[in-house]
Amino acid sequence: MQPVIDASVFIVDDDASVRDALAWLLRSRRVPSQAFESADAFWHMIEAGFSPQSPCCLLLDVRMPGLSGLALFERLVERDLHQIMPVIFLTGHADVPTAVATVKRGAFDFCEKPFSDNALVDRVEQAIAQSADILQTQQARNSVRQRFSELTERERDVMRLVVDGLPNKLIADQLDISVRTVEVHRARVFDKMSVKSAVELANLLREI
Amino acid sequence: MPPAWRRRGLWSALVFLVIALLITLVWLAGRYEASQVQSHLERDAAEAVGDVRSALTRNRQSLQALQFNEPSPDVWIRDAQAFLRDHRELVRIEWRDSAQKITTLVETPFSSPVFNRATRTNSQSEVVHTCTAARRVSGPAYSSSYFVMLTGGVGIEVMDLCLPLVTAGQLNGYVVATYSLPSMLNELLSRKLTRGQEVSFTDGDGTRLAIHGLARRTNRVFTAQQLIELSGNTLVLRLDSWHGAPDLFPNVLTALVMAMSLALIAVLFLLGRDMRRRLKAERDLAEALAFRKAMEDSLITGLRARDLNGRITYVNPAFCEMVGFSAQELMGQSANAPYWPPELADEYQRRQAIRLAGTAPPREGFDSVFMHKDGTRIPVLIIEAPLRDEQGVQTGWMSAFLDMREQRRVEELSRASQDRLQATARLAMVGEMASLLSHELNQPLAAISSYATGSTNLLREGNFTSADLTLAMQRIAQQAERAGKVIKSVHDFVRRRDQAREAVTPQALFDAVMPLVNLQARKLWVQVQLRAASSLPQVLCDRTMVEQVLLNLARNGMQAMDRPDISRRVLLLEVKRHPNVDEHQLLFSVTDIGPGIAPDVAQQLFTPFFTTKAEGMGLGLSLCRTVIEQHGGSLVFAPNTPQGTVFSFTLPLA
Repeated sequence: MQPVIDASVFIVDDDASVRDALAWLLRSRRVPSQAFESADAFWHMIEAGFSPQSPCCLLLDVRMPGLSGLALFERLVERDLHQIMPVIFLTGHADVPTAVATVKRGAFDFCEKPFSDNALVDRVEQAIAQSADILQTQQARNSVRQRFSELTERERDVMRLVVDGLPNKLIADQLDISVRTVEVHRARVFDKMSVKSAVELANLLREI
Repeated sequence: MPPAWRRRGLWSALVFLVIALLITLVWLAGRYEASQVQSHLERDAAEAVGDVRSALTRNRQSLQALQFNEPSPDVWIRDAQAFLRDHRELVRIEWRDSAQKITTLVETPFSSPVFNRATRTNSQSEVVHTCTAARRVSGPAYSSSYFVMLTGGVGIEVMDLCLPLVTAGQLNGYVVATYSLPSMLNELLSRKLTRGQEVSFTDGDGTRLAIHGLARRTNRVFTAQQLIELSGNTLVLRLDSWHGAPDLFPNVLTALVMAMSLALIAVLFLLGRDMRRRLKAERDLAEALAFRKAMEDSLITGLRARDLNGRITYVNPAFCEMVGFSAQELMGQSANAPYWPPELADEYQRRQAIRLAGTAPPREGFDSVFMHKDGTRIPVLIIEAPLRDEQGVQTGWMSAFLDMREQRRVEELSRASQDRLQATARLAMVGEMASLLSHELNQPLAAISSYATGSTNLLREGNFTSADLTLAMQRIAQQAERAGKVIKSVHDFVRRRDQAREAVTPQALFDAVMPLVNLQARKLWVQVQLRAASSLPQVLCDRTMVEQVLLNLARNGMQAMDRPDISRRVLLLEVKRHPNVDEHQLLFSVTDIGPGIAPDVAQQLFTPFFTTKAEGMGLGLSLCRTVIEQHGGSLVFAPNTPQGTVFSFTLPLA
């Protein structure tokens, strides 16, 4: 059972005052947040099986004692979590080149301290929106997979040939069953995959 | 002509001449000896003739004495026989009457009678002829010799003597005595003469009439002939001698000459060997010289020898190349050598005086500067050693010179790269510190900014409680305080160095920086003068920092003079009491005679990161001023007269 976390923004910074100030700022824009005092603490949560169910983003300080922000980002990239949970780096001026490199590796953005606060919140909201998009796509894909897994072996065979564009008669010849049976299977596939035409079915399958 | 051939020719000529001389000497010696023998022989012959002559005279008188007092024939015979017994050379004495008829005769008792009647008759005419001649001259006359055959096929040559017997002018008769020529030789000549030589009578054409002594026939015989004049006859006495027939070494003289010649040849041979040895030694010497020359020429170390008056007596090519003067130009130079840089000549003069006074230089050498002919300065390492002759008496100084330019350049390069590394390291450290500091300041600033923005957001929307805002304000105040603490900690860090201050004498400060200053001075050909009044009080300062200030100012000054148009470069370091008596401070100054400081540069001189040097950081002077001001002093600069700049700073007394 994964822990339920009702937060859109995760703040990881070793400096408590910065964490509090950011949380306060986000709250002033009605963005809920959860703060972590170290990258290790956040990673523990991921390790414990957390995966985002609602749109979210990560505000990550580059320089921290223990596991650094960069190392944490690398681990997230490995688990392919950096898309669903976009990462915005918080940097001192000396870290800018590293931060730029991380953006090239897939981080959402970086903000140089001291930052222009409302602009940061704007970027946070954009990140959350991107997260929401990705989350939605992922959920759609998951539901197709779900429905696909509900098909029987025979129904999958019929569906493959339908998608290939064969008429029922030929499908019946190939599978060595009656045309009637093919029609039944076909109707059941359309029903289970909740599509109305073969074209719609083909599009759906291309997504997974 | 090659020398070897010439030498061989000379040697052959010498040997030839020696042999020729030898032969001549031997020949001359032989000839001399021959002439000696000849003259000896001649003397013998003369003596023999004398002997014969006197014997004949004596015999004639004796024969005349036989007729004394008109002896009776018996008495005459007795006397004549006695006479013949004594005189073997006579074979017969006849007494003849005035008509030449034999009255009485006596034969020699030593042999059988020579004449028989017949043979005497044969010779009658001879006797008559002789007696006629004798009578005519009224004195004795000799007949020519004639041969008388004896029995047994042999014969002898005889000669008659006729004595006319005259009494009171009246011819009474004749006495005829017959001489045997062989017996004459035998009897009349002394034994000495006849020993070892052949004596003979010959007639005019050389036919031997009588011989005494057996001639040993050899290649060479000496012959002497003497005439014996007799009235009516002339005999020739001939001596043949084989005595001393010359051999190869005829006598001591020749042997002596020979020995001397041999000795001469031996001496010549020895001389020749000695000459060969000498030649070999000469060749070896030449080789050794060439070897030494090659060694000298290949050296890159300059060599110079000076006598005790400081005159240069020798320089090698490397030295000439080093200073650009030829050996001819340098030889004999003493005071003020042309390769002394004019600005250092006084010092070198002193050094030379010390050296000539006999003080040995350090064995490991010392650094000096020479001037090339074209005016460039050359750093050299000089190693000097006394030059001694074979008696061990010092005759001068030998010096070796190493050109240190390359080494200096390498040293300079490594020092420069080290400097750059240090600067880079310092820069990296400064960057790191700046990064740390900015992080430390950024955190509170970021927090403040966040609270402020958040508060603004709330205020704009009007949806807030005063508690919210109070919290935000409190947080802002806290973070501001935190930022202040960061700043203060930096300040504290700087101030902590106050505790490092100590009391030092100004001389100690200078002593600490002089090695480094001199190092650069040598590179830039700067002469550094130090002027410190004696018995100056101590100053209270952070030693390391103030030394850094002195070093910085000295370096700046020397670099300012590193321009080709400044030939005489002097850097003056000075410390004295502050001219204002009330001030309890010392005044340090660093004076260069460079081009001075342009007004626009002067305005920004102490601004951090302002620099006129290609590799400068622009922190040196700014740091210097900060350090001095922390000590409660001040750093100022002013133009120097006639040119250059004076930087001066004050430090408080301890």
